[in-house]
Amino acid sequence: MIELRRLARAAEPYCFIAPLLLLIIAVMLVPLSLGISYAFRDIQLLDPFSGGFVGLDHFRELAADPSFLAALRHTVTWTCASVALQFLFGLVLALLLHREFPGRRLVQALVFLPWAVPTFLVGLDWAWLFNPVVGPLPHWLQALHLRHDAGNLLADPATALLGPIVAAVWWGIPFFAITLLAALQSIPKDLYEAAAIDGAGALRQFSSITLPLLAPTIAVTILLRTVWVANFADLIVVMTNGGPADSTQTVASYLFTTAFRRLDFGYASAIAAVLLLLLLAYALAILGLRHRFLHRPA
Amino acid sequence: MLRKASYWGSHYLLLSLYMLFALFPLYWLVKVALTPDDLLYAEGVRLWPSHAALGHFRYVLAHSEFPLYFRNSLIVSGATALIVTLLGGIGAYGLSRFSFRGKTLFVTLMLITQMFPLVMLVAPMFRLLAPLGLTNSLTGLVIVYTAFNAPFATLLMQSFFDAIPRELEEAAMIDGATRFGAFCRILLPLTLPGIAATSGFVFTAAWSELLFALMLNSSSNASTFPVGLLSFVSKFAVDFGQMMAAGVLALIPACLFFLLIQRYLVRGLTAGAVKG
Amino acid sequence: MRRASKLATVLSGIALASSATAGTALKLVEVITSPERTETLRGIVKSFEDANPDVHVEIVSLPWGQSFEKFATMVAAGDTPDVVEMPDTWLALYANNGALENLEPYLKAWEHTPELNQRTLQLARVIHNTAYMLPYGFYLRALYYNKKLFAAAGVSAPPKTLEQFVAVAKQVSKLPSKSGYCPCGGAGGVNAWMMFGALESGSNVFFHADGSSTFTDPGWIRGFGDLADLYKNGLAPRDSVNWGYNDIVAGFYSGTCAMIDNDPDALIAIAARMKPEEYGISPWIKGPSGKSFPTIGYGGWSMFANSRHKDLSWKLIATLDGVPGNLAWNRRIGALPIYTAAAKDPLYADARFRGWFDELADPDVVPMIMPMDLRVWAVFVSSIVPRTSQSVLLGQLTVQDMAAQWAQVLTKARQSQK
Repeated sequence: MIELRRLARAAEPYCFIAPLLLLIIAVMLVPLSLGISYAFRDIQLLDPFSGGFVGLDHFRELAADPSFLAALRHTVTWTCASVALQFLFGLVLALLLHREFPGRRLVQALVFLPWAVPTFLVGLDWAWLFNPVVGPLPHWLQALHLRHDAGNLLADPATALLGPIVAAVWWGIPFFAITLLAALQSIPKDLYEAAAIDGAGALRQFSSITLPLLAPTIAVTILLRTVWVANFADLIVVMTNGGPADSTQTVASYLFTTAFRRLDFGYASAIAAVLLLLLLAYALAILGLRHRFLHRPA
Repeated sequence: MLRKASYWGSHYLLLSLYMLFALFPLYWLVKVALTPDDLLYAEGVRLWPSHAALGHFRYVLAHSEFPLYFRNSLIVSGATALIVTLLGGIGAYGLSRFSFRGKTLFVTLMLITQMFPLVMLVAPMFRLLAPLGLTNSLTGLVIVYTAFNAPFATLLMQSFFDAIPRELEEAAMIDGATRFGAFCRILLPLTLPGIAATSGFVFTAAWSELLFALMLNSSSNASTFPVGLLSFVSKFAVDFGQMMAAGVLALIPACLFFLLIQRYLVRGLTAGAVKG
Repeated sequence: MRRASKLATVLSGIALASSATAGTALKLVEVITSPERTETLRGIVKSFEDANPDVHVEIVSLPWGQSFEKFATMVAAGDTPDVVEMPDTWLALYANNGALENLEPYLKAWEHTPELNQRTLQLARVIHNTAYMLPYGFYLRALYYNKKLFAAAGVSAPPKTLEQFVAVAKQVSKLPSKSGYCPCGGAGGVNAWMMFGALESGSNVFFHADGSSTFTDPGWIRGFGDLADLYKNGLAPRDSVNWGYNDIVAGFYSGTCAMIDNDPDALIAIAARMKPEEYGISPWIKGPSGKSFPTIGYGGWSMFANSRHKDLSWKLIATLDGVPGNLAWNRRIGALPIYTAAAKDPLYADARFRGWFDELADPDVVPMIMPMDLRVWAVFVSSIVPRTSQSVLLGQLTVQDMAAQWAQVLTKARQSQK
């Protein structure tokens, strides 16, 4: 009798995750392993006779591919800038929205709007805004003396990456704002009251109450966003197509071009595998930090 | 007094700046949607067209396939949001409240699914779903979207659950409540904002998803509205006015959904913490 | 276990049911999609369905911007249609892989084959001298020019030679925020590069006898340099380094570009947005050799080799490319006709088509067929050319290096492909 109960108790957690596990294995892990296996074969999408095993050839080619190495550099810039700015602005916004003020409900609803726009449309919208023929931004930048002519930011290799970054930040702030706001809302108010009674100022309250309690959510959201942004090719493909002259090509957009223009799925899968490894290393680092934080002595 | 005034002053200033930044591109969307074709380039830079017209909206609603695409998107996104919130919530509870063998492996597995560029999954996914008859169908899309969004939703909800100490529920269970009862009475009310936020994100993710909707489905009966937006781009002309009109119309359901769950997102001053 | 077998029963039941109710179902995929085209296609297909009552044709319209990758994915996963619209740049990919049906036997038996003009059959047989597709029309490059901008800049007539072209471009570019010529810096730019290269080299030969590319010959390099100079000397908008077809056509009808080079099907988009007196079309410019080499492309219909209704599919292609179908189609899309007699159709008597028919009649105009039979051509056009040409326009790469890179890719392709 006790054995059965012990068994049931031990099996309990697995019941909670079972449906999820099954779904993920069936629908994601199977295609994923197939996808990764392509990295070791020569797969030309339209050539039914391709598919031979090539071992590490693709990876060797990658290591020497100047386009890939440049794309790696751009990816770091793209990811760091986008995520950092989204997070900072999102946090500030969340803190602002945490206070009660007249019109707060309305502001909260409006804040969410950018996230609701499909990324394809976001890219087109911002491409329009940056286009001097149909958009106001180049003219404003010129009027503010930030640029010497009303040219298109996206046509200049030195500034082209700024376009997708601005669009990504615009689109991504709501994610951080809403998530962090929800986490802020879960912090019990009397913790702050107690701290105020003890004489702690706003900054002290923030650093010793807010930040630690927000930490799990911050870690997860930054982790997830970084992974997504690194994989995010939509805005770049729509706004600049990796150009001009590959100056905005990130690993994700290079992947897209290799897979869907060159139709070389073998090479593209190798790129994807490398990206996966890099992101995995990054994720394990963050998770390690989070684990330490969550389980540190009180 | 001055400190308070300066705080609120900067509070409203920062908020207004952000609102401007967030809403200007959306305003531009609306402006282009209201500009008749012949003025699109001639008056491109103006802040408001000299001749605003509802022609594009009329076209999208009456002549294009958009109402069908909207319906499809609503079905797919709603179903996905519902299923993911349920499955993910259950999974998140398991991850947060138990420690068990294989937990790290499971979490790592879920993370890995988020890291692989989805572009590479298109071809294998097609091969997987085609023999099951799930390509060119809304059901297939719901299954795919659920699988894509479940890991993220689970991890996110887990972080919200993690912020609430276990002791609160354990105290209630010692007092005789079932696990489910403890969840409903203690954990759920405190984390409702987080669950609502996650649900909202999943809905919008499914609502705006383009790649798989494009690649897995071909007929218009199974197409969602982002795919419909693509049909406004032809070889020599992009019907920007109509595309933006469709985009504006598509914002409405996403906003409505979010307004719906908003109540749970903001807890008033009275919803205090658990005493003791 | 039980659920799986239940599912299987349901699925097979649905499959049986659907095959029992319909007569025959054909699948037709269109790829250069636009709302007007789809409507026209539906009309022609309906006439086919009326003539063959037991047949239903499902039309799948792929969004043009993503049609290449979407169709490739469908085909790779086995979701193939019976008939597909086949752009010239895709033909090599599908025909060389044995995916397309050989249309020669059908053409031999077709009553309209003798009425097709010479070019139609020549272009149909580009791969291994076998017809893997039947063209529906031709795209021949010509010069579109903006009469209003010309008048404002004091230019009286469209340029006929390269020198005149550059001079006119200079004159118009003096007008504030206007440009003389708008190139495609992004996708779709290959035609202009080829035309300028051939112009200076005086020939449209792409390969020497041994299969090596002619791009490294001084004439071609000079021609590439001419086009690059147009951008570098400010005669084109700075932004055009990123532009595709949509953008240059938009640049033209918005009055930013005085001249563009494009095909007849751009006419539809332009005519809808400009008045006839505001623009004109003239034959492409001639080079120092006195000859002009506008590129010629085509679109057509192909049948898939694994189609289960080949005769019916051919009948569909015959309807689409039959005399009334083809005319209705070209009336909407604006390509040049495949039938010798069609040149007399009132559609082509329109003053705007004058430019193209002048080109076709001029012995010094040699329509240039690009090496589209190379499997690498699609990749060359969609990613190698934009990337390298953008580098050249931005001054990061010399014209010689670009020509050398192009030559390397094409030589390898030509020499390895039989």
